[in-house]
Amino acid sequence: MKSPGVRILYIDDEENNLQAFKASFRRQYEIYTAISAAEGLKIIQNVDIQVIIADQKMPNTTGVEFFKSITETFPDPIRILLTGYTDIEVLADAINHGDIYRYITKPWNDLELHNSIKNAYDAYKAKIDLRNKIAELEKTNDELNRFIYSISHELRAPLVSVIGIVGLVKMEGLYNSSGEYWSLIETCSSKLDYYIQKTLQYYKNNKTTADHTPVDFKKLVAELIEVYAYTDRETQFTVNVNQPTPFIGDLFRIEVILGNLISNAIKYQKITELNKKVNIDVEVNKEAVQISISDNGMGILNEHLEKIFTQFFKSKIHHGSGLGLFIVKEALNKIGGRIAVSSDLDHGTTFKITIPNAK
Amino acid sequence: MLNNAKKVMMIDDNDIDLKINAKLINITKLFDEIIICQSAEEALDFLNQHIENPDKLPNFILLDIQMPEMDGFDFLEEYKNFPKKFTDRCPVAMLSSTLDFGDIQRAEANPYVIKLLKKPLSTKELGALL
Repeated sequence: MKSPGVRILYIDDEENNLQAFKASFRRQYEIYTAISAAEGLKIIQNVDIQVIIADQKMPNTTGVEFFKSITETFPDPIRILLTGYTDIEVLADAINHGDIYRYITKPWNDLELHNSIKNAYDAYKAKIDLRNKIAELEKTNDELNRFIYSISHELRAPLVSVIGIVGLVKMEGLYNSSGEYWSLIETCSSKLDYYIQKTLQYYKNNKTTADHTPVDFKKLVAELIEVYAYTDRETQFTVNVNQPTPFIGDLFRIEVILGNLISNAIKYQKITELNKKVNIDVEVNKEAVQISISDNGMGILNEHLEKIFTQFFKSKIHHGSGLGLFIVKEALNKIGGRIAVSSDLDHGTTFKITIPNAK
Repeated sequence: MLNNAKKVMMIDDNDIDLKINAKLINITKLFDEIIICQSAEEALDFLNQHIENPDKLPNFILLDIQMPEMDGFDFLEEYKNFPKKFTDRCPVAMLSSTLDFGDIQRAEANPYVIKLLKKPLSTKELGALL
């Protein structure tokens, strides 16, 4: 039976061998033959060859020399070297520089050669399939990235306009003019915005490869507090950053991690607490950074401590999105960090994280 | 005589955001005059037309990032060709609903951009820049 489309080139300076090869294999494969390396090159320039068999001992250009000469220009075809004598140096050269798949001694055994060709063709197919799959995956990834980018704009832009309008309504003193409708719109919009932001953080954490940039923790923590404490001016922050040495790490993920923890520390305060406090301690050394974020908020139930890092876990009373701490954990996994939590119900929670310094 | 009125140029393809931000600026009186441009091209035309006439030129630019055809970064590429005398006294703040880290870094790395402000525009943040 002829395998459709398997094209084989056999190069040998002895016409007899070419004829014998043709006779043995023409029923199974599409055979091309060449009497010299130069002739062979002409063929691979014009025909899409999948397996090349070349005799080693030929005048002008040897089989190995030929294979070497096409490693750059025609890397895809699988190469089989055929030789009548076994010279260890030729062999070593063939393997090291000619990218040889099989080495077969002359006179060949039809069955052995047949099997080698079959295997070579499978190897060729695997190589091409893999390349196609990679190209496909790269395309999908690229599309996904563009999709994420466009969500971050297209979906969020009109929402942000709505939030802006609510802001204007407040400034013009109309916020309470229609019962609680405006405040309901505001709550829904911020919730939707929060979900969009968390979804984006999650996808970006999954996609982006870790980058290494210098991190100035003093600046970063101050910025994050500025962002997240915007809605709440009551909480007192005590920040201690000791960074005597530079820290190199993944700024995006560290920002996501600290941002989520700081925002939680603010969000899960006790309503009745008059003295809302959040302490942030950062200690950087050559090996790692240790960050501790503790609050005197409502705390976490003991039986919940195990589950808070799982996706979509929410406690019944204080509903978040169930994504914040999950994202924190995922981001830490990506950068080799660790997190520990301890909590006293009604007294507060402490998160301790360690992130290696990639300096 | 030199006109001391403070002028802001807002460049955004989104009508609603232009309207919201113009109102915000009117209420807070952060600027005396607003030059509204619905595209980067329109803004460049305006600047080119009045470049010899400092009275007409803005002292501050609020620039949206995502706009069709010419986006905020394309605008900045053209902006740097204006005389230094003008650009030195007219800082640019980018304004966008982007959460894309690349955009944020790219914006803040640009020497003409003093800050990337996130939408919705916070007059407090804007005020702090002035």
